[in-house]
Order: sequence, then C-alpha cells, then structure tokens
Amino acid sequence: MLAVSNLTVNYGEVQAVDSISIKVKAGELVSITGANGAGKSSMLNAIAGICAVASGKIVFAGEDITGLRAHQIVKKGIVQVPEGRQLFATLTVRENLLAGRYSNSGFLLDKVIPDSLVQRFPALGERLDLLGSSLSGGQAQMLALARGLMNHPEVLLLDEPTLGLAPIAVKEVFDLIAELRDQGLTILVVEQNVRQALAISDYAYVLESGRIVMQGKGGELLNNSRLVESYLGAARAI
Amino acid sequence: MTDFLQNCIDGVMFGSGYALLALGFTLVFGVMKRLNLSFGPSIMLGAYAGTWVYLNFSQNALLIVLVTVITTVAVGIYVERLCFWAVRRDAAIASMVSSFAIWMQLEEVAMHLLPERTYPFPTFFTSTVIDIGPFFVRSEHISMFLLTLVLLALLHLFLFRTRPGLALRAVSDNPLASTYMGINSSNIFFLAFAVVSVLGGLAGFLILSADSQVTPFFGLWATFKGLIAMMLGGMGSLTGAILGGLLLGVVEANAFWYGGPLIRDISAYLLLFIMLIVRPGGLVGQRIVTQQQAAYERV
Repeated sequence: MLAVSNLTVNYGEVQAVDSISIKVKAGELVSITGANGAGKSSMLNAIAGICAVASGKIVFAGEDITGLRAHQIVKKGIVQVPEGRQLFATLTVRENLLAGRYSNSGFLLDKVIPDSLVQRFPALGERLDLLGSSLSGGQAQMLALARGLMNHPEVLLLDEPTLGLAPIAVKEVFDLIAELRDQGLTILVVEQNVRQALAISDYAYVLESGRIVMQGKGGELLNNSRLVESYLGAARAI
Repeated sequence: MTDFLQNCIDGVMFGSGYALLALGFTLVFGVMKRLNLSFGPSIMLGAYAGTWVYLNFSQNALLIVLVTVITTVAVGIYVERLCFWAVRRDAAIASMVSSFAIWMQLEEVAMHLLPERTYPFPTFFTSTVIDIGPFFVRSEHISMFLLTLVLLALLHLFLFRTRPGLALRAVSDNPLASTYMGINSSNIFFLAFAVVSVLGGLAGFLILSADSQVTPFFGLWATFKGLIAMMLGGMGSLTGAILGGLLLGVVEANAFWYGGPLIRDISAYLLLFIMLIVRPGGLVGQRIVTQQQAAYERV
C-alpha cells in the first residue's frame, strides 16, 4: 500500500535520512524504532509532505506521491498524528476534531462528532466544548489520535504517540493502536518504546544514523540478541 | 453628566468604524503574525476608485459600494502577494517594511487618479437628528453603527460556522498543526487578506460616507486609528479590537467636546501611551497572552 524507495532527507548539510526503503502492506502495523536523531520522524514527515525529499520515491496505492504538499497527501488518505500532539490550544475539543476532518468537510461546518468516535473516546465525548488546552496529557494524546481518525485515513502515521505519557496512558495508547490495526487500518508508527512497539507490530525497522540497520517481524526482533543488547538491555536495567 | 453620556453615545457610534479598521489589522496579525501597514492606504485607494466612479459615471450607491470594496480587495491581494507571500520565509519585519513601501506607491496612484487635495465622498445616509429622551443621535451614525453590528455578526458566523473560518482560526493558533490537518496555509493567508479587505472596504465606505469627503490622508488616518484601536484592545484579539475601537471613539468624542479638535487628536495617543504603561497587553490581550502561554505549555 505504501512503498518508500531510497528515500533521502537533508536538513542543509546534514543528512537526516539516508537512502531508506520500507514497505507497508494494507492492514499492517509497521513500526520504526531507533535512538533519538536516527531519522525516524524525518522519514515520517517526508512521507506526509511536511519536509522536502532530497531523493527517492514514495508510492501510495500505486501512485507516486513524492514531492506532493502536505494538504495534497492528506487528501490522498495519509494522515499524520504528529510528535508532541500539536493540538489547537485555543480551539475546543470539538473544533480540534473538526479540524481533523477539514479536507472532507463542506463550506458550512457540520459540528456533529460521529457517535462511533465518541464511543471510542468517551473522555473526549464528555469534554467536547472545553478548550483543547484543558485536557490532561493522556487525554490530549487521545484527542490527537481521534483527530487523526476524523478524516477516515487509509494510512495513519503516528509519530511518538506515547512520548511523555504516564505508564497507564502508554498502555491505553498501545491498546488503541492494536485495536485500530485489528479493524483493518494501515498504520506506520515511529516509537522509542521499543518493546511495546515490537510486541504489537506486524513488521518493524530499526534505524541508526538515518539508515536501516535491522528489520523483521515484530516478534522476531524482540528475540534478536543484538537488538535486545542495544535497545532493550538498558530498558530492562531501568 | 448628560454631556458626558451624549459624548459616549456619539463615541460608540463612531468607534464602531474604528472597530472595523482594528479588526482588519487584528485578523491579518492573528493569522500571519505580521503587520500590514498598507491596510489603510488600500482602503483609501478603494474609496478613491469609488469617488472616481461617482464623479465620472454614476451616483448609484450600490455601484459605488461595489467599486470601493472590489478595488480594496484587489489592492489587498496585490499587497498580500508582494509583501507577504513573496517574503513568507523571511523575517516578519520584511513584510512590515515592504507594506510601508507599497503604502507610498498606493498614495501616488490615488493622487494621479484624482489630483485635487479633497473630493466629496457620496453621502448615502439621510442626515437627520433623532431625539432619545435627553440625548440625540445623528441618523448617519446610527446607520453606521447598525451596519457595523451586521458586519460583526457576519464575521462571527464566518469564523465559527464555516470551514474556511475554522481554518483561519486553526492557522492562527498553530500553523504547523494546521499543515498536518491538510490545511493549505498559503490559501488561508490569501483568504485572510480577502476577508480583511472586504471589511476594510465596507468600513471605509461607511466612515467616509458619514464624513462626506475623502483625501489621500485617509490611508494614514485609517492606519493610525486601526492600529491604535487594535493595541488598545490587545493585539491578536478580535473582541479586543472591537472594545479598543469603541473605547477610542468614546475617549475622542469626550476629548473633542471638552477640549476641541487638537485635544481629540492628542487624546488618542495619550490613551495609547497610558494603556501601554498600565496594561501593555491591551484591554483583553494580556489575559489572552497568559491563557495562550498556559495552553501551549500544556499541549
């Protein structure tokens, strides 16, 4: 469904992503892990049209979308839930959600939020007319995810969805991601929480200094001694 | 006391025009975080085009309103392309400086279009005095006030009930998040200028029609009044822009009554000076700045 070939992203002189190729099949949950500065978010931003592609090709559903701008890519059905949530602080929860449906709404705003979404995110349903800034960290992340789902995306890109969350909220987010995958949504997630990300992933890539250094099925990588030593050993010690 | 209240009524009526001018500055500043110094001169050129049609072709009120508004929008778009879109990746000061340069250009165009110092601007309001108890109100001021209320209501509906209105507020709040949502910021900046120019054109028409004359200095006057009203209310706040405009109108009306025209002009600057010292964020701006900072820290 989504194929990235030899993607390179530069920030001036610095090469953030170096000739990376990944594939995401329809209905699959693929995770990208790695240390800070490995190029994970840059790769996601390049797919979403937020940052420029230096070279390489991005193909979505058979169509070359390399170089398209962010609003054109959202219209194609690829929606990114950005790192740090990026909510609209001065808009209400309802308006934040409506902004997520911007590409598919008419001139007059339909302020009704679908029942299915309210049932999936009951905490948001109770706070629809409060400001986005009034939510707790976990609720804010749920709002970011719900906003991403408002547009009925074909591919959901998640950038560090559990960053800065309490353990109970982290579990909720991972449960939700697994549930969305089970319902057939194609998901590409960038995550530093390696163990939990691999546990729910169908396939995973490990990045180091802008390059893929390991890849395989999520369960297989969890038992990979090199990966355990590099990324999970420290986590176990903690 | 009666005099004071009468001045307040007059001030609110005329201050509604200032509120519209302040809204124009505030909308662009809120969305782009850049100041458009050509806003006043754009309105002036629109008014000159309306006057030119009035003097040479037709005295039809609707036609002159349309010419004024359409010219203001066209000039607004010209300013947006040259001073904002073209330098969108540069520092905000680039837009401010280039819009100041375009101001000079627009005044030159106006003076070539109609070279005399002053021209009559068509008066479409019936000028009568209406008694309300011990007070009286001029009918053209009531018309201007009511039309301003209608425009404010329409602007509110646009911002809160339509898709482009939501996009304007979203880009103003968080441009990066808007990009992730698929909102094309360039289109929204363009839209902001178009909306502001429509408001400005109508405001210019209402103010000049009540004043029944236009000079090339109207651009300078509109810029000063709009900027002062915006800063009194609080930069970036739509409610603040309206309150700032009304406050400026009330203070000027009282200053004129008790001190004459010179004191009226000085009172605007004195009021701004006091506000910047006592409450630098403006009437509601300080609260909004604090709320927004708290909000951004949370999300």
